[in-house]
Amino acid sequence: MNAVQTFKLTKEFDGLVAVNGIDLEIKKGELFSLLGPNGAGKTTTIRMLCCLLKPTRGTASILGYDVAKTPFAVKKLIGVSPQDTILSERLNCWENMALIGKVHGLSSNEVRKRSQELLETMGLMERAKDQVRKFSGGMKRRLSITMALVSDPQVLFLDEPTLGLDPQARRTIWEYIAGLKGKKTVLLTTHYMEEADFLSDRIGIIDEGRVVALGTSQELKTNLFGMRNMVVSTESLTAEVIADLHSKYSRVAVTKGQLKISHKDLDFKEIVNHLHSRGVTVYSAALEQPTLEDVFIEITGKKLRD
Amino acid sequence: MKFWEIGKRNLKEIYRNPVLLGFLLGMPVAFMLVFVAAAGGGQAGPIALSIADEDGSQKSSLFVQYLGIVGAIELNEPIYSEKSQAQEDLENGRISFYLFIPSGFEQAQQTQQTINLELVYMAADPMIGLQLKPMIEAAGSEFLGVAPLLNVELKGTESRIKNMAVNFYFPGIAVYGLMILISTAAGIIAGDREKGFLSRMFTTPARPWDFILGYSLPFIPVLIVSTLIYLGVGMALGLTIVGNLGYAFLIFFLIGLCAIGIGMIVGSLVKSESQAGVAWIFIVPMAMISGAWFTVDRMPSALKSVAGALPFIHGIDASRAVINGSPFSAIILDIYWLIGWAVVLFAVGIALFRRTMVS
Repeated sequence: MNAVQTFKLTKEFDGLVAVNGIDLEIKKGELFSLLGPNGAGKTTTIRMLCCLLKPTRGTASILGYDVAKTPFAVKKLIGVSPQDTILSERLNCWENMALIGKVHGLSSNEVRKRSQELLETMGLMERAKDQVRKFSGGMKRRLSITMALVSDPQVLFLDEPTLGLDPQARRTIWEYIAGLKGKKTVLLTTHYMEEADFLSDRIGIIDEGRVVALGTSQELKTNLFGMRNMVVSTESLTAEVIADLHSKYSRVAVTKGQLKISHKDLDFKEIVNHLHSRGVTVYSAALEQPTLEDVFIEITGKKLRD
Repeated sequence: MKFWEIGKRNLKEIYRNPVLLGFLLGMPVAFMLVFVAAAGGGQAGPIALSIADEDGSQKSSLFVQYLGIVGAIELNEPIYSEKSQAQEDLENGRISFYLFIPSGFEQAQQTQQTINLELVYMAADPMIGLQLKPMIEAAGSEFLGVAPLLNVELKGTESRIKNMAVNFYFPGIAVYGLMILISTAAGIIAGDREKGFLSRMFTTPARPWDFILGYSLPFIPVLIVSTLIYLGVGMALGLTIVGNLGYAFLIFFLIGLCAIGIGMIVGSLVKSESQAGVAWIFIVPMAMISGAWFTVDRMPSALKSVAGALPFIHGIDASRAVINGSPFSAIILDIYWLIGWAVVLFAVGIALFRRTMVS
């Protein structure tokens, strides 16, 4: 049985399709990332899986329990860290943890034990007795994740867990999430490429409510699209040459005399010859594997999203 | 006991928020002081004359009717047949003064003897006697003819009620003060919804009744303390509770529960703390037609029916009755009414809250 399974999962808001027939199968213990631009439907998908939104069409189940028909059975199995860090601001860490733990049916002893373990791991023990309204954004985010874990859920939903955090805080959270691999099923949404790349067993790229690509990070970068990057050190690049390259290739970027071209089935020799023929001096040229960001832009396009 | 955990959290959010706590507990004191100061301790309600007619003759009845058509006088119903009943009601503050017609009124009129009436009023308020004496004497002379002479003797009496204005205004002010729990309770739910806290809690296995009970529970100590403050400040300002203090407390407690219940409904319907201000649309008209600020005796009967269907007028009437010495049997229907309303309000609150848990 899959930990998370959706079939043609759809959500419409007043005729606007936010999630459009998503089919997902996430195995037990898998760390799966939903990657997508703003408004792609990531949070709406998570909210349906957490029983906060009723699907307009299609079904979704968590460990075999249908989210629409048996929401309270589902809620017993899941832990959720929402996108906005939502805590009880006038409660301290212990009290916030106890609230979620006890509402999940844990005893006081169990809550204390789990909280101690999690607060220590997340480096929050020193300030555990302070009201959380005095915490920094990073500390609040860490506490929010530990609250999602206090009930020892089988399936964990992390919606943009590192949004707006500094690199140190982000690294701490990544390391913790990475440690959950194989022990918990984690569904994570993010629009940080490196986060999805670093953490995920598999990634689903979601755009305009549909899953447009699905696979491991490596599969997405190499096999699926045949996308390649070429980095060229040049001189005498003119605006006309750059415009010409833009018309031929998916992505062209120029920084400090270095030209980066990304394209599907890119032909190394053809580009070098083309540059020579336009009078451009080529000092060196090399092929590179594309980054996840290259794949993401290739799939979702460059248009701004709101 | 999920509701207990939610309740504990909400209580901590309230008592660790000094502004909110100050508002909730300081308001009863401020309310009482402002209203009593505004009332000025003067005569409450219209000048209405009560009559104790021990003569009970046709002549005395006609005289009473005649008094009723004198423009400045309004007769209170019922007409007492015994002076002792009127005296008891005066001492307990149910009436402000009464005119005593002794037995022998008709005979004295027939034998052309001087008729002596008594106008009994509270000694603390002598102006009423001075105001009414000439009116009654003039009306009597007109009714009876030039002779016999009618003499109204003024008789001040000590009332158990220290301050009539406080006794009249207190129940209404206290009930209005408790009605403010509607907006506070609604605001706390709406605030948690706006901040996303409820959304997070909706991903846990807590049920709708856990939330409604969890959001209501912290207001119970607030309600108890507020009621004690109202009673305490009221007494300090001259409130005299002739009846059972426990009954008065029970009525205010039930009124508070109804207010919290309405707050739960409003909180379930609105999406933000600012929208929770919509609660005032209910509070002010309900207070007005329930007689929180002034008597509703002259209110149109249709509006009286509306007020009668709502809980608050029952709370005000019952508390006024208890304060003035009525027994429990006199308020039992009001108590049932308030309990019924509290049950209905919480049931509706739970049903509405359930709808908000998934969209």
